[in-house]
Amino acid sequence: MFEWLHPALIYLAAALLVPLVPNRKARAFLILLVPIVGIIPLLTTPFGDYLQLSLFGETLTTFRFDKLSFVFSLVFSLAAFLSLIYAWHVRDTMQQVAALLYSGSAMGAVLAGDLITLFVWWEGTAIASVFLIWARRTEGSYQTGMRYLIIQITSGVVLLAGAAIHYRETGSLAFEAFSLENVGAWFILLSFGIKCAFPLLHNWLQDSYPSATVTGTVILSAFTTKIAIYSLARGYAGTDFLIVIGATMALFPIFFAVIENDLRRVLAYSMNSQLGFMVVGIGVGTDLAINGTVAHAFSSVLYKALLFMSVGAVLFRTGTAKGSELGGLYKTMPLTMVFCVIGAASISAFPLFSGFVSKSMILSAAAQEGHFVTWAILLFASAAVLHHSGIKIPYFAFYGRDSGKRPAEAPRNMLLAMGLTAFLCIAIGVWPNALYSVLPFDVSYNPYSTTHVITQIQLLFFSAIAFAALIRMGLFPRQVRSVILDTDWIYRKLLPAIISFVVLFVSAVWSEIVRGFNNTITAVQNTLANFYGPEGRVARVQPTGYMVLWLAILLGAALIVNLVGLP
Amino acid sequence: MAKKKNNKAVGSNSIIVRSMSWVEDRKKVDKFFWGMLAVGVVLTLLDLFYTKKVYFQAENFFGFYSLYGFVLCAALVLAVKAMRVILMRSEAYYAAQDVASEDHPEFDLDRKQADV
Repeated sequence: MFEWLHPALIYLAAALLVPLVPNRKARAFLILLVPIVGIIPLLTTPFGDYLQLSLFGETLTTFRFDKLSFVFSLVFSLAAFLSLIYAWHVRDTMQQVAALLYSGSAMGAVLAGDLITLFVWWEGTAIASVFLIWARRTEGSYQTGMRYLIIQITSGVVLLAGAAIHYRETGSLAFEAFSLENVGAWFILLSFGIKCAFPLLHNWLQDSYPSATVTGTVILSAFTTKIAIYSLARGYAGTDFLIVIGATMALFPIFFAVIENDLRRVLAYSMNSQLGFMVVGIGVGTDLAINGTVAHAFSSVLYKALLFMSVGAVLFRTGTAKGSELGGLYKTMPLTMVFCVIGAASISAFPLFSGFVSKSMILSAAAQEGHFVTWAILLFASAAVLHHSGIKIPYFAFYGRDSGKRPAEAPRNMLLAMGLTAFLCIAIGVWPNALYSVLPFDVSYNPYSTTHVITQIQLLFFSAIAFAALIRMGLFPRQVRSVILDTDWIYRKLLPAIISFVVLFVSAVWSEIVRGFNNTITAVQNTLANFYGPEGRVARVQPTGYMVLWLAILLGAALIVNLVGLP
Repeated sequence: MAKKKNNKAVGSNSIIVRSMSWVEDRKKVDKFFWGMLAVGVVLTLLDLFYTKKVYFQAENFFGFYSLYGFVLCAALVLAVKAMRVILMRSEAYYAAQDVASEDHPEFDLDRKQADV
């Protein structure tokens, strides 16, 4: 019925309208209405390709609606709605417009049926989202935003290059499964990898998300990386080496998440680890694995948003999200604490919470295909998530050492957003079939088998016991105000240092060369001047007597030569 | 008016706060810890009473999941302690180029004290 109505256009139209509405409340209402209206075409349109355009003889499908794009656009609508409730109090028009443009672009990207449309929305998300970082309006956030933008735009440019090469190789611009025998497909994979925060391409995530505003981070957390997951699932399902990438990605961020002090950065690292699970699912590529990836993306958008919301609420009331500065807040922010714990239980995959029903599909799929090492790594990451997110976030914010801070409970709009998100996290855990019914493949899966429930509780319980024991023994690292070096140190410190060393070295060598050259020139000049200059020997005024003397000598010599030479 | 609302909010939440107050008592926390350990042991013993459906031989090992969770998580934390020595820098390390040493701008916050 509404197939002519592209959901992304609703967001864009609203973004144009919002700045024109002078009344603050009317503006907030209008914004909140957008995801509600935006979901109508998603719920009423049958699957198919719509809104096709012709460009230079190529058909572009701007609204490709199928099972995979449906799930992602659905969860994006939910995430937009929940984060906009959370951001109800925000008066900054720039943030409101950026949030709408960003959510709309994300929606456009997952509904794009060809690479050109995908590229446009891909860059759209980059440009719109950076304003959520710049909205903080400090020097640090400006610089961070620039780094973020450079990396995101690079990802888009690589995508465009890949699309061009792919078109040259295959004559097609369709966004379908790619074959890695083509060079273009490698470029496209690299582009997706940047946005998905593959290992060594990941730093933008931990750098930028904690640098946004309170509400900006919540909005940021939902879209960019999930677009990448969607794109990988569509283009590269079953690509073996993604299993290795995914397992690495699930593993290494957990170490950083345990060390980090800034709780929003901890969440960014743990998000990176969760993305690793999804990438493994894509690499395994079976129906169960892809279903697991999609289900996990769905539930992780929600529990991640919930965790970012609760830490954001703490930041909103206390002015800091650093573990070292917080503690004991459960006394005055009990509801926020409860919501945070629900988010923590969901990400930790406790039975009856959302992570349990989605993460286990990926683990089962990896195990079914016999990937023992990958399975063992994912199992470790599942246990460790309790340390860096499941317990650490609630413990250091709401319990632990009493910071003496007694902030008021989060405002009502935040509580409402957190409450609804928490409800969804539990609902998915309790009624997983609702989520399973919208997944791309028909696979029957029962997460609540006796073995799975018991083993998962054992794993988490003993992970928690390890945490408690280490805390009791004083072995758990104390939270300290600090910066933790990650591989971005290479381009933020090492490369600039090398470049400035090279600059200094080259300029020193150059100035030596120039100085030596100057010295030589001066020496030659001086020598010449000695001879030919005004004071030089050549220019010296000789007395007439000398000439007469020399003349006499010459004449004498000539005479002798003549005399001697005669026969 | 506003104050009244706040009081009401604290009142309705006080059940949660009171139910958590045991965390302030060292002895009760100790009891909780030993309780956890006891439950953990019971959970591990459950392995004896059902047939595990496994994908890999390793899972058949008695208490595999309990051990795996405990040992690797403890190892993780100890590894992290070593990593800290190498990777930790002061907050001002990247200063001016990132937000770590900046205060969060006040216009984005609404600091409010609870009525306690």
